[in-house]
Amino acid sequence: MRQELGGTVLDLRGEINGFAKEALDAAYAAAEAKNPETILLNFEEVDYINSTGIALIVGLLARARASKRRLLAYGLSDHYVEIFNLTRLSDFLSVLPDEESALREASVS
Amino acid sequence: MSSSSGARRTLAELSIPSEPGNERQASEEVAKAVSGLGLPERTLERLKTAVAEATMNAMEHGNRYNPEVPVEIQVWLLEERLLVRIIDRGGSPPPSPNAQRPDLEAKLEGMQTPRGWGLFLIRNMVDDMRVSGNPDHHTVELITYLKSDDDAG
Repeated sequence: MRQELGGTVLDLRGEINGFAKEALDAAYAAAEAKNPETILLNFEEVDYINSTGIALIVGLLARARASKRRLLAYGLSDHYVEIFNLTRLSDFLSVLPDEESALREASVS
Repeated sequence: MSSSSGARRTLAELSIPSEPGNERQASEEVAKAVSGLGLPERTLERLKTAVAEATMNAMEHGNRYNPEVPVEIQVWLLEERLLVRIIDRGGSPPPSPNAQRPDLEAKLEGMQTPRGWGLFLIRNMVDDMRVSGNPDHHTVELITYLKSDDDAG
């Protein structure tokens, strides 16, 4: 986790599946504790997301909405951008191609 | 090793222990088996996701994550289409391929479990999906047409 001008960035790595639940929840809770307006999920180093991982992201999105926090995602491969569109996750969180554009998006809103 | 029977060519036959996380091994092995077909990258990624999700369902719901009960996977080439068959030893009714589309808004409001994306993803990642079963096993068939409209132009 790191703090940038536009918000708090969670650098995710490896696989987002059932095994990632504890780490993801803990990282999100640590980010939440700083009470940022925006939390950015960095998927640049993620090479696999399964349906359980999608459910974990839905859970984070629900938490963000409940606390009126904005959630952004960036660094997804084309395949996972397609899955975010298909599942409609991208209707509820902004999906940006890279950190620069994500931070810019976070800063203007 | 591949073998032929009439118009059917077997590209791989796999046996995957039913342990959490093994669905990725299944998808990578299927990807390796079809590597000679020259599938477009997008088609291959979609197939890998469908195989992983169907294998995960088979391990979880069919074989109850019993590592001694493997998921069997057959990869067949049938003239114009690729068929991946995923077989578990489940005895309950097979999952309905026409299950309702997950409702993200309902999930975000806590009205539905956040889970339940597997069948939806599978259905949308391949050209056709068939499910069959009898009292001692389920078979999910994933069909990808080798020259789909997506590849045109």
